[in-house]
Amino acid sequence: MAFISPALLLLLAMSVFPLLWALYLSFTDYSATRGGPAHFIGFGNYTAILASAQVHQRALTTLIYVVGAVTLQTVLGFAIAYLISRRTHGRGLLTTLFLVPMMLSPVVVGLFWRFMLDAQFGVINSMLGSLGLGQVEWLTRQRTALISLIVVDTWQWTPFIMLIALAGLTAVPKYLYEAASIDRASEWFRFRTITLPLVWPLLLIAVLFRAIEAFRLFDLVYILTNGGPGVSTETLSFHVYKVAFLGFNTGTASAYGILMVLVVIVLTQIYLRYLNKLKEG
Amino acid sequence: MRHSKRMGQVSAPGRKVQLATAAMLLVATTVAACGDGQDDGAKASAPKAPATIPELTKDPLTLSFIWFDWPPAHALEAFANAEYKKERPNATIKVNTVPNANWHDAMFTQFAARKTDFDIAILDSQHIGEAVTNGNILDITDFVKNNIDVEAYNPYLLAAYGQFPQAETGKRDENASLYGLPLLGDTWTMIYRKDLIGDKPPQTWDEMISVAERCQAEHPGVSGLAFHQANGSDAAAVTYNTVNGVYGGNLWDSKTRKIEGVLNDAAGHEAMDVLVNKMKPLTAKGSGNWFIDEVNAAVAQGKACIAFNWIAASGGLLDPKQSTLGTTREQILDKLGFATLPSQKTNLVPLGGMGMHVSAYSSTANQAEALNFMKWFERADIQKKWAAAGGVPSRTDALESPEFLNAGPFNQVYTDSVPRMRDMWNVPEYARLVDIENTNVNAALNGAKKPKDALDDIAKEQQRVLDSGSRKGGGGL
Repeated sequence: MAFISPALLLLLAMSVFPLLWALYLSFTDYSATRGGPAHFIGFGNYTAILASAQVHQRALTTLIYVVGAVTLQTVLGFAIAYLISRRTHGRGLLTTLFLVPMMLSPVVVGLFWRFMLDAQFGVINSMLGSLGLGQVEWLTRQRTALISLIVVDTWQWTPFIMLIALAGLTAVPKYLYEAASIDRASEWFRFRTITLPLVWPLLLIAVLFRAIEAFRLFDLVYILTNGGPGVSTETLSFHVYKVAFLGFNTGTASAYGILMVLVVIVLTQIYLRYLNKLKEG
Repeated sequence: MRHSKRMGQVSAPGRKVQLATAAMLLVATTVAACGDGQDDGAKASAPKAPATIPELTKDPLTLSFIWFDWPPAHALEAFANAEYKKERPNATIKVNTVPNANWHDAMFTQFAARKTDFDIAILDSQHIGEAVTNGNILDITDFVKNNIDVEAYNPYLLAAYGQFPQAETGKRDENASLYGLPLLGDTWTMIYRKDLIGDKPPQTWDEMISVAERCQAEHPGVSGLAFHQANGSDAAAVTYNTVNGVYGGNLWDSKTRKIEGVLNDAAGHEAMDVLVNKMKPLTAKGSGNWFIDEVNAAVAQGKACIAFNWIAASGGLLDPKQSTLGTTREQILDKLGFATLPSQKTNLVPLGGMGMHVSAYSSTANQAEALNFMKWFERADIQKKWAAAGGVPSRTDALESPEFLNAGPFNQVYTDSVPRMRDMWNVPEYARLVDIENTNVNAALNGAKKPKDALDDIAKEQQRVLDSGSRKGGGGL
């Protein structure tokens, strides 16, 4: 007990206590800057958040972003992993190179993509111009701004899916492919009946991790678009930040954060049950 | 099947002990955290600073400021360390800087923690209400009475950078409390290309738009206008407020706290229409997220006929290393002109700049040093030296002095603009009000909302924020 108590204390102080404290504040009208006692208001914050049109709008933006980014990353990540797994030479070097974006800080990624996507001076529009195409307002138009966020997130996090998919692909027993070759099975047949079913559960875990990460996206939005134009790229996390720090409505922000945690927990549970069924099947 | 007991496995009583210990630790942590929270209520209003400066320490002391990262912040640190040290050799001035977008959060999260790593907060004039209501800064009314010559200032400047509740334009309430003193005055200047539109700047807003339109048509690759449109800080909001003022609109009725119906009246809608439908088409493509640096870059690279920017941020335009307009300052000045904003129905200009405010959580020795620094900084001779060092002073004698007027080509613009200034609301809800305005104006400028809808939404949402005092739950939404 004495041996683990420092770790236990750290866990309680840094993780469990803030969560319970936020849970308590979520039932109050407390403001961190205004001070004064916290008044208990029951589920007032929760009902206000769930009924808020602003929150619904941010939830839809977040959903589009999560689905778009994770789908694109999964398709690209798996495709790259599949191509790398078929190589016998230079696999390690290629894998390392593809992993570089994932190792960068999201703030750094956001900043240099902001320069690259600048409508006037950015390298992307310069390349489009040299191809005879017009300028695109990547970060200041409603549709292109969200697409830009998805593309940048995909650039950074596709390697994560690739890495896990590659681990799954290299773990597929070779004798299965050898048996299929003896039966003169086509490439597509082998992929469909051997590769995909065996890698699928691992890939789904990668998708789960990425979806959770994408759901709480903040840094790229903050750097690239600041939620704009207007509020059209404001995600739920970005909105929580505004509620928490612009008006210092700590109680509301706590309830908002707790609701986001609950959404992730519920969706993860459903997902894990599906994954377990898949394994049992 | 029985399993043998493994090493390290805890018996049932052992588990109870563990759980009890964990619960005790949790309770202890909670109580420790609650301890801070219970002090909160005791400091519901701004504490008073002493009327006279207490005895200053002879020990080495660092007086820390917090500001956002821009040239005046570095100028202040260099100036104060060079000049203030002559009188207080044991004092070192440190101006901590944060990115502009984090400025409010950096100050107010520390205020929220009731502990600051700065002694003097350089607040935007609109932040005063929030800081005063929360008791974060000292009430220096008595200190000002005893130590500052208030007659030496345009009354509105003293009011704007220190008074709460807010002053009406051009009026200072002599009986109101003061919470800060001016550090850096500022307003917008119109920057125009003399080589493209001529030496005489446009006098009215309509004339300015038509000149910009003609210039853009005659010079392909150069946009007619460049101004702040970003949805961060107060960028797009100040732009709209400026046009609103020029076209005779009002931001609110401060006495009745009414925004809806005031901001979005006929004048307000006309201003929004001018901004979105007449000015925006004259800007560069993709300029919908431009703020101070981007506007300066466009001017320095010769990509704009007319631009609007804060005077305090315009110094870099004259640096040949940063400009394509000339290889010397004189060559650049042959092409660039600086003028006060054109007028239309009124001649209002936006008030910028910031004041110095003493943190309520600073140590007694540092608060005393901060008050001494403020008294020193507001002296007539120091204000002129600050002007010569590139700062924008607030005392009338310094504003009219050759030291200031000869220090930069835009300084005359500031002196001429002082009687024309209008500020935003400095109520505690400022951060939310400005965010609502920023995001909606930015949406209108970038085609995400119709101008009329954007203005009506601003008025409706801002009114809801002002009226939300009695709301039970969901504050901030």
